[in-house]
Amino acid sequence: MSKLFPKSVNKLPLQILVYLFLVGGLATAGITYYATPSYANVGYAPVQPVPFSHALHAGQLGLDCRYCHSNVEKSGFSNVPTSQTCMNCHNQIKTDSPLLAPVRESYASGDPVPWVKIHIAPDYVYFNHSVHIARGVSCVYCHGKINEMDVVHQDKSLTMSFCLECHRAPQKFIRDPKLVTNLDWKDPEGEKHRIEQGEKFVHDWNVKPPQSCSGCHR
Amino acid sequence: MKRKFEHPAPSERELTGPRYWRSLDELSQTEGFKAQVAREFPEGSSSMEGVDRRQFFKLMAASFALGGVGLAAGCRRPEEHILPYGKSVEYIIPGLPLYFASAMPLRKGAIPILAETHEGRPTKIEGNPTYKPYGGATNAIVQASVLELYDPNRSTVSTIKGAAVTSADVQDLLARIGADALAGKGAGLAFLAGQSSSPTRAALVSKLKKKFPGAVWAEYEPTQDEPPVTAAQAAFGRSVKPVYQFAKAKRILSVDADFFHSESGSLQFARDFAKGRRVTKPTDPMNRLYAVESTFTLVGSMADHRLRLASSHMLAFVAAMAERIVGGGDYAALAAGLEVDAKWLDACAADLVASAGKGESLVVVGSHQPSVVHEIAYRINVALGAVGNTIDFVAIPEDKAADIGMLAKTIEGGAVKTLVVLGGNPAYNLPGNFDFAALVKRVPEVVRYGYYVDETSQLAGAHIVAAHYLESWGDARTADGTIVPVQPMILPLFDGITELEVLARILGEGSTDPHTLVYDTITALAGGDAQKSFNQFLHDGLLAGSAYEKVEVSPRAASSHTPASLVKLSKDNLEVRFTFDSKVDDGRFANNGWLQECPDPITKIAWDNAILVSPRLGKELGISPKGWVDQVSRIETADFKQGREMAHVGEVTVNGRTVKAPLHIQPGLANYTIILPLGYGRTAAGHVGNDVGQNYYPLLTSNDPGFVTGARIVVTSERHQLANTQEHWSMEGRDIVREANLDEYRKDPGFVSSFGVEAEAPPVYSNLTAEEFSNLPPEKRAQITAARSTQSDRGGSLFKTPTFDGVHQWGMSIDLNTCIGCNACVIACQAENNIPIVGKLQVLIGREMHWIRLDRYYSDGRMSGDAYGGDINKEIPEDPQVSLQPVACQQCEMAPCEIVCPVNATVHDEEGLNTMAYNRCIGTRYCANNCPYKVRRFNFFDWNKHATDQIYLGPLGSQSRMPELVKMVKNPDVTVRMRGVMEKCTYCVQRIQQAKIQQKVKAGASDHVEVPDGTIKTACQQVCPVEAIVFGNIKDENSAVSQAKARQQDYSLLGYLNIRPRTTYLGKLRNPNPAMPDYADLPLSRKEYNSKNHPDLEPKKEHGEALLSNAKLFGGLS
Repeated sequence: MSKLFPKSVNKLPLQILVYLFLVGGLATAGITYYATPSYANVGYAPVQPVPFSHALHAGQLGLDCRYCHSNVEKSGFSNVPTSQTCMNCHNQIKTDSPLLAPVRESYASGDPVPWVKIHIAPDYVYFNHSVHIARGVSCVYCHGKINEMDVVHQDKSLTMSFCLECHRAPQKFIRDPKLVTNLDWKDPEGEKHRIEQGEKFVHDWNVKPPQSCSGCHR
Repeated sequence: MKRKFEHPAPSERELTGPRYWRSLDELSQTEGFKAQVAREFPEGSSSMEGVDRRQFFKLMAASFALGGVGLAAGCRRPEEHILPYGKSVEYIIPGLPLYFASAMPLRKGAIPILAETHEGRPTKIEGNPTYKPYGGATNAIVQASVLELYDPNRSTVSTIKGAAVTSADVQDLLARIGADALAGKGAGLAFLAGQSSSPTRAALVSKLKKKFPGAVWAEYEPTQDEPPVTAAQAAFGRSVKPVYQFAKAKRILSVDADFFHSESGSLQFARDFAKGRRVTKPTDPMNRLYAVESTFTLVGSMADHRLRLASSHMLAFVAAMAERIVGGGDYAALAAGLEVDAKWLDACAADLVASAGKGESLVVVGSHQPSVVHEIAYRINVALGAVGNTIDFVAIPEDKAADIGMLAKTIEGGAVKTLVVLGGNPAYNLPGNFDFAALVKRVPEVVRYGYYVDETSQLAGAHIVAAHYLESWGDARTADGTIVPVQPMILPLFDGITELEVLARILGEGSTDPHTLVYDTITALAGGDAQKSFNQFLHDGLLAGSAYEKVEVSPRAASSHTPASLVKLSKDNLEVRFTFDSKVDDGRFANNGWLQECPDPITKIAWDNAILVSPRLGKELGISPKGWVDQVSRIETADFKQGREMAHVGEVTVNGRTVKAPLHIQPGLANYTIILPLGYGRTAAGHVGNDVGQNYYPLLTSNDPGFVTGARIVVTSERHQLANTQEHWSMEGRDIVREANLDEYRKDPGFVSSFGVEAEAPPVYSNLTAEEFSNLPPEKRAQITAARSTQSDRGGSLFKTPTFDGVHQWGMSIDLNTCIGCNACVIACQAENNIPIVGKLQVLIGREMHWIRLDRYYSDGRMSGDAYGGDINKEIPEDPQVSLQPVACQQCEMAPCEIVCPVNATVHDEEGLNTMAYNRCIGTRYCANNCPYKVRRFNFFDWNKHATDQIYLGPLGSQSRMPELVKMVKNPDVTVRMRGVMEKCTYCVQRIQQAKIQQKVKAGASDHVEVPDGTIKTACQQVCPVEAIVFGNIKDENSAVSQAKARQQDYSLLGYLNIRPRTTYLGKLRNPNPAMPDYADLPLSRKEYNSKNHPDLEPKKEHGEALLSNAKLFGGLS
């Protein structure tokens, strides 16, 4: 038989093992790199040009989200406030703070402050804020407890399966639209009541979140 | 068991009986054609050219290596920024579009628009519905004008003697011209401008004439879109122009007029014509259109009776009609020699007169026709009682501008020291008897104000950048005189200035700001509180009550005409008719890729302006495609090579000048008239428009711009490829466009159900056959259709069907009876859905991307060889009827494309849309293979990243020709597709979703989530001037679309496949006059249908004979 199989074949089982190990390792690495939430950037907290603290403004001071993100109820895009909005208060408070210098410059020149985008949906996804707000989906489900973040980070994966989780069972996430910006809200009558209410809302308001492609991809 | 549908098998008669042509290529039955028939995409469209297997692998290896480098470099997401405004901007909400009323000025008839802007960036134009005559409709040119704003080839910097200068230098230059001219009271100063309807410009010009009495103000337009005022002067002694009221007209005679396209105000005419054409129930009246024309226009394609006649014979024709309708005068002498069947004239005249008592007849003459033809037509209209009913006359301001001839004479006399050319492009489009380059040399200083550095700017010493109309303040008048604002949507991208500023600066006005100038004009006209009325003007987009005043006219005594003998036309004495192109107009839009790539509505040729010749002339010239004989002797002289039209090239000589151009045989032309569409052959238009087609302006003379006789054609041995998007031009006797005559419809309103397999099939739904269903009352039909829209059980099919449980079920109805095939929907769709252009080469290969196409079919009724003594019909028809049909994705409920997609990239949604998830698509193209309508389009290249001449270079190609500027035109609500992705019509899903979202926002904590009917308009529907397209919720039986679908003419294209398209069509009606000699008791396509499918029912010979005799009667004329 040695005529048929050269000696080097003896090493083959080991080679196959090593090869499988390598391929397996690469596949694991690849999946970890591309398919886990780290690809979806959970925890992404870039340094912003101005160290704006949501914990201070939304948490301690209790500003409503919509004071700054003023068009969230009208537009698909929830706007980051213009420097003019900041200056509504900051022309009286902390007028000389060096941290606020970019905002003052922007207000004077009209050039934007280059805020770093944290929550990024791919270009082929047309997410619309206004409809979620109007139909009682709270900010907190996608953005987390922003009111407790000194530096905003991405809290949820924002992948398609994340979206579908809610679109398939809206009753678990829907609440009275008046309460959507209350990030700390808990149903005083308990979790079970919250879901019962959700079921009622889904029925009464004819809530049918799209689960087909055309809902978000155009 | 899965129900399996077979296409109707060919009958024995079909296989062995007489055969008929369906395209030039099939006629010659070449091998290439047979191969093409068997393919899904045309050959070449799915293969790489010039690359063999070995080379391919080499390339792929290299690209994998490159890919590896790319991977190592990291694929993490780049940092993105959010850039909010520094200071809040009034009204702007990021993410929501804003709409402003404005207008697109074009010669003397502006078109009122609403411009959609996204964060200050105009992306889409819609019509302004406040202007009632157009009712929110626009045309292809208006739709495409937004692309021109972002044209990378537009001029970006003003120059003096070739050196770039600042805008301050430009202002100084203009001020100096004014100051210099003041000394000589304007002597030595001359202006050459295009026509304009702007009241502010008119005011500035009259100031100019006062301040510089010695200056020359000349206006030149190469094409005429308004009837000559001299005709009205001759007929009524007044400076008036006609405004046709087609809605009131029941009998219309069109004399060489293309009132759907080339007349100022054509949008109103098309819209009104459709009102008289639309028939919703058997008792409705329907207008009747007689068209006499030399070329084949859309008017001709809608005509119930069409007569082919040379343009130069139109005078004799109107005289012959006047003889019959008006009587007296010297009409008989004028009509002498006219070779038209007297029966045709008598019957047509009688029909017009019969409706005259009610004031329901109308005669329309094309603007290019000489004054005397119009004058006689006016007299006919007076005799028909049309004036005040179907035709109004409005007083128009007198035109005091000098013409180009006078200006040329002044320049030749050496009296012009400074020439200011405002817009236009005289170096390109002056008639051949002027030599603009030579003229310009005699003028020491030439200043050109223009949007492009074009042929004219290249000759001028100074070039001033013009602003686009979407960047300008201005005003204009619509065709009926209503004053409309021109508002800027965006600051000038390249320091362009407006024409008003140029004039004001030369005049030395106190304020040269165009806003101030317009404000002053409008507030003076409007009266009342100035600011308030101006704001109202901008808000409405028009100045109410500012239309030209309607005036009473009374005919003057007819002066005698000198009868000119009719020119006898023949192969050696051809008539040349110059038309202005349906897309690039007179050449001004030549660098607009959307328009260039749009196929001509009749010829279906894109990216070219071939000379059109009649089939008879083609035969006499020896360029007709060869039939049997050649095939037998195995000489293949295919004029189509794998779908590419290999046109013969001919040389046309007229007026002592010669032009070489490809020849395209076009059915339906007057025998010895050749058609030369103007506007192509530009040499300095830009990357898109350069060297596309031929320039025919040198053949023109200034005396007679519409047509000229005495031409000859010499066919050369050269061939030229024409990008023809519809080679196949016959319906082959199939039931694609279903037609009936009005009288048949009145007897059998459900005639569409007597067609095709459906007519004989057992009931598919419930227990009703197609015929039984069509005979139900409309309310019942609407109810059943609405109920069906949500049922998933589709005709007992075992195939798993999607569930239709959405709040709405979307559907569309297209009325073939009013569709005029104007192409507006094609361009509107392109603008709305970010559809790329692919260039001429790719169109030749069959890779055009339009989501909606207009199919144009010819039929001459001659399916049966029996009618022709057993001979086989292999002739191209000389006198065909045209059937037009817009086809986009039909949104089948049981879509064949979906079941073959291996990755679920195309699936149904719960509201009945056949959706496309681009990011899932892997480009197998199985869906396109399985689509019976051929409406899916594939991105063979990255059209959006590379210019059309760079696509083959892939990533190595330069992207510099697709700069940021081009990206600005993209609709932010629609994904821009990449290479390797399939795409198709989505019913404008972005508009649907936005409307649904808005409704849900409004609903909030309530269940009012149903979008009210009429809220959503698809782009094609919104632009349609004839309102042929209706879209909406078919679940609601009271919606407009349900009402339309409940009409008995409603049918599905290829309905027998049981794929249940959500788009259905309303059958086409024709209204021929039984007294006419060319009357056909059935539409010609019906005759073809009958002779194919019911040969036993076909009456022996008689129609064919009638047709043949007609062909003899009219064919030998002209």
